[in-house]
Amino acid sequence: MNLQTDLKSEHISHLVVSGFAQVPLGTSVRDTLARMRADRRVVCLVVEEGAAAGAGDGQEEDSRQARLVGIFTERDVMRKVVDVPGMLEKPVDEVMTTDPITIGPDASAADALRLMELNHFRNLPIVDGSGRLLGIMSHQAIIDYLADRYPVEVLNRPIDPERFPRKAEGG
Amino acid sequence: MSTTATDEITLTRKDFVSDQTVRWCPGCGDYSILAQMQRILPDTGVAKEKTVFISGIGCASRFPYYMNTYGIHSIHGRAPALATGLAIANPDLTIWVITGDGDGLSIGGNHLLHAIRRNVNLNIVLFNNRIYGLTKGQYSPTSRPGTVTKSSPMGSVEQPLNPIAVAMAAEATFVARSIDSHPQHLAATLKRAAEHRGASFLEIYQNCVIFNPNEWTDLSDRKNRDDSILYLEHGKHMIFGKNRDKGIRLNGFTPEVVALDEVDLDEILVHDATSKPLASILGSMEFPDYPAAMGVIRDVRKPDYAGELIGQVETAQAQRGAGDLNQLYLAADLWTVEEREITSVASDGDGMPITGLDEEYIDEMDKPEEVLSDFQDVLVTNTLAELRPKVPITVGKRSSLARTVRQMNQHNIGCMLVTDEENRLVGIFTEWDVLNRVAGLVDDLTQETITDYMTADPLTLKEDLPIAQALNLMSIHGFRHLPLVDDGGQPTGIISFRDVVGYLNEALEEK
Repeated sequence: MNLQTDLKSEHISHLVVSGFAQVPLGTSVRDTLARMRADRRVVCLVVEEGAAAGAGDGQEEDSRQARLVGIFTERDVMRKVVDVPGMLEKPVDEVMTTDPITIGPDASAADALRLMELNHFRNLPIVDGSGRLLGIMSHQAIIDYLADRYPVEVLNRPIDPERFPRKAEGG
Repeated sequence: MSTTATDEITLTRKDFVSDQTVRWCPGCGDYSILAQMQRILPDTGVAKEKTVFISGIGCASRFPYYMNTYGIHSIHGRAPALATGLAIANPDLTIWVITGDGDGLSIGGNHLLHAIRRNVNLNIVLFNNRIYGLTKGQYSPTSRPGTVTKSSPMGSVEQPLNPIAVAMAAEATFVARSIDSHPQHLAATLKRAAEHRGASFLEIYQNCVIFNPNEWTDLSDRKNRDDSILYLEHGKHMIFGKNRDKGIRLNGFTPEVVALDEVDLDEILVHDATSKPLASILGSMEFPDYPAAMGVIRDVRKPDYAGELIGQVETAQAQRGAGDLNQLYLAADLWTVEEREITSVASDGDGMPITGLDEEYIDEMDKPEEVLSDFQDVLVTNTLAELRPKVPITVGKRSSLARTVRQMNQHNIGCMLVTDEENRLVGIFTEWDVLNRVAGLVDDLTQETITDYMTADPLTLKEDLPIAQALNLMSIHGFRHLPLVDDGGQPTGIISFRDVVGYLNEALEEK
């Protein structure tokens, strides 16, 4: 048995995936960064909004009508923003990756991982059939899965591996 | 429990980690609970000087040593009594009581009941592994009938206590349950217990890897656990199952598991954490007949003991003035005890015989572990060196932000290691730091020094440690990069989420 067999039978919807920040198309890079910082997210999804947010349709309705048009990550901040003068006031549209590849919640974790390796993605938006944005698949989800799957080996380890009792403690 | 917020100080996990060597068996569930406790305490906003951990006796009761807070490793079963006194003497403290199924329900069962009944402002955490671990494997008050142990070689004939039902019987105002192997759920539930004012009772299913390793397998197995656990959320339907296709319905007074496609959603119970009867029903649902209810089972607000008591003292003092203890003593009948000659009791001077128990225990520990799968073997035996860590790219600590960012982009890396004059690792600087502290916030990157923006003294690992050690830090703290250093503290490599997942994904592929 290996990790791949495990991950083939595990749907993405069964993993604890990461959240994301969200801004509408046309938001300035400065405001996008502020949103990501406030939400403490390394990924921001850029959407075209069908209805104004908070129109009273409930959150589910809102995100259904928001169509994913781009993705903007901390890597883009590194490469396209921090060292490039005048970037902050431009719309995020100019620095985002347009029409990102997405994956459905019923796909297997193994499929998602393969897609990520193939394209050198670190983040893969999860979108269901009706276009709802559900989360971000990343390597973190696999790490967390492993910790849950093998708690004795992974979670229950000494905090400082250098300092460990030589003799078992007992009454 | 209440929180006394400190306005100025922001604490981190590290502030709650003590310098003591942790003495639990490798693989013990206590490690997971300790890690989550240290992780959530900074979020509760309570100063560590206002935090006290009180324990009794048992493996769990070693907890106070490992928390860099005040703490007392007290008398067997008496932690709730001691904690009650402390809560009255200093109501400003946030007090955690750490106990186990033996310490809390057998030796100190009475104390536990009354601390809960009085609604003393305590966070009581009971580690339930259904075995006496410290004394090497006798059945406990929560062991199931038929459990074969050293003290029940033909199987226990006793009916176990249900800790949730015990807490409910004591009129607990906060009752919750979680499990060591589900860190996210455990952290969230610990936080809820911390927020409650009055006695919070949290039962944690905890794995004793040496003496009762298979007790919670059905609930901790990542592949099946969602079919065995009912995650409770106030106001939400009681729906569970890996595919969320099962629910709990009430048939008369008896709960039953039903398939969702066979009933109306209206028939499915909705969780109400303020309902006492519902809490009793949830507590009575025993796995495997039912899924184990996890999360906050009951959460209601009632006056807490110290608050009421201190209120009465204040009222009495307002009416009759401050009391005088001396006067009170002298008002009673007095007599004098006279000294007599003491005859000493003869002693044979013999020490306790050596029982050989330690050797028995060590034999138990040394037994070759059942290797459950090749993959688990890879996790604990293959070292980080086998991940072929990338050669670390470093900058000196006097480097400017501009130089650091340029270097990161040149090498296309998301994490830079910062070193001192002797090439020792002093900090780590990542893409998140750029996003969080630099981009759009710093006007001139050439004028700023990296030391002001890096994370100083990051956690490090050595190359000869098992891969599981890196997974541990990555899953508990969410670190995406881990620096590797040699004995002199000089960086030898760096590993990322991606390296670990990539390696494990390919490990054993040929088989």
